[in-house]
Amino acid sequence: MRRSSIKQEQRKYMLLQTVQWIVFGLLILAAFVLSTAGSHLKPLLLLSLALCISSHTGEIQATAVGMVCGFLTDIASGKLLGYNAVLFVVFCVAVSLLYNYILRQKMLNIVILTAVSVLIQGYLDYLFYYAIWGHEDVWLIYTNIILPASILTLLSSFCLYYPVKWIADKCGSRREQELEETRMSAYYDY
Amino acid sequence: MGNFFKTTKCKIILFILALLVGVMIYAVSQGGYTISSIGVFNALISPFQHASNAISERVEHVLDMYSNAQSYYDENQTLKQEISDLHAQLADYEAAKEELAELQEFMGIKEENPDFALTSPFDVVGYVANDPYRTFIIDGGSEDGVSLYDPVMTAQGMVGMVTELGTETATVSTILSPDVYIAALSSKTREKGIVTGNISMLLDGCCKMEYLEKETGLQKDHVILTSGENGYFPRGCVIGFVQETGLEATGLSAYAKIRPAVDLANLTKVVVITDFSGKEGQHEKEQH
Repeated sequence: MRRSSIKQEQRKYMLLQTVQWIVFGLLILAAFVLSTAGSHLKPLLLLSLALCISSHTGEIQATAVGMVCGFLTDIASGKLLGYNAVLFVVFCVAVSLLYNYILRQKMLNIVILTAVSVLIQGYLDYLFYYAIWGHEDVWLIYTNIILPASILTLLSSFCLYYPVKWIADKCGSRREQELEETRMSAYYDY
Repeated sequence: MGNFFKTTKCKIILFILALLVGVMIYAVSQGGYTISSIGVFNALISPFQHASNAISERVEHVLDMYSNAQSYYDENQTLKQEISDLHAQLADYEAAKEELAELQEFMGIKEENPDFALTSPFDVVGYVANDPYRTFIIDGGSEDGVSLYDPVMTAQGMVGMVTELGTETATVSTILSPDVYIAALSSKTREKGIVTGNISMLLDGCCKMEYLEKETGLQKDHVILTSGENGYFPRGCVIGFVQETGLEATGLSAYAKIRPAVDLANLTKVVVITDFSGKEGQHEKEQH
């Protein structure tokens, strides 16, 4: 009786996990479409989304999310393929580890982590794609393009955190906890 | 019954009948036989008639709505479908019209420059995200006859050059990029210089014409054309218009701020010039 209940819970958990990743996938796709639309200044939606998702997942999933979002950012921003993927993987794994071991699930934490990540990413972008060529007044690109885009990215994390948290709570984390509780209760019964 | 003729009721009825007869006589005397044709009555009755009409129409409308609901629903569905079809047709028509206008514009380039070998117009697939130089990607590549460093333009003027080439897509760096250099001259003063991207100017959507004489004769709104001297760009294509001039920090030469003739932030279609007179000759010279 107890075993069948665990199996049922497991099946339910798997189904919800699938739904969660489909929704995350769609969100990533939407962020990519928005990143490639128009010629105006845009936030790095894929970065803030990847970090928000990573704050609710394990390290492996965070790596996968970072890689996918990084590649998509490379495509959208015409950068060397893999450049942003590497950076994003590092950021996402760091966020996942921090959330799993040190930080509490609060929005302020993700905002600070996004700020740090976006500043590092922006500075490296500036360094390798603009400053390195030594063009005149190159710092203007940092102040007029990269910094505003970073601020927009930071603002976007405010909007993305709660929807991602809601999805993760509904489909992932809470269910995992319930499943663990069922397992523990079965173990004690045994 | 006999008492009835003595009652007030009977008197009132008789009074009304008399009134009606009087009305009838008045109507005849006015030359009209209906109430509406008699001015005084018409003025009195008209508001009531309107109110009564409105009420009866409303009631009729409501009754009609319920009694014929199904037929109206069907008719509505048919009309909706027709509207949808017409909208689709209209959209196709607008798209075709727009495309025709664009093609006519691009035809103009060919008519003005018979030596140009142009590709068919390519769609701008997308701009590179947050790129200050407005770099963009087109849906034409080497399979469409595009080569690296081919100039790219619209009917309005020069856009830039192909800097990355795939089989089906190509990346175009615009004239705002500091990596693109175009030999240029003024259509009015024939002064020569190099047009290239400048970071402080590109924030205003402009590029820079460098290496002008200190006493430059360039003035606002002078047209700047390609001079065709470096062999990468054909001769005589509009680059943009002079916004302002100034002396370089070194004081040795002057510069001009150029507003591109093409709106580089909102491109939808461009053509690539795959060949033009002077291209091969210049390349041979460079090889020598």
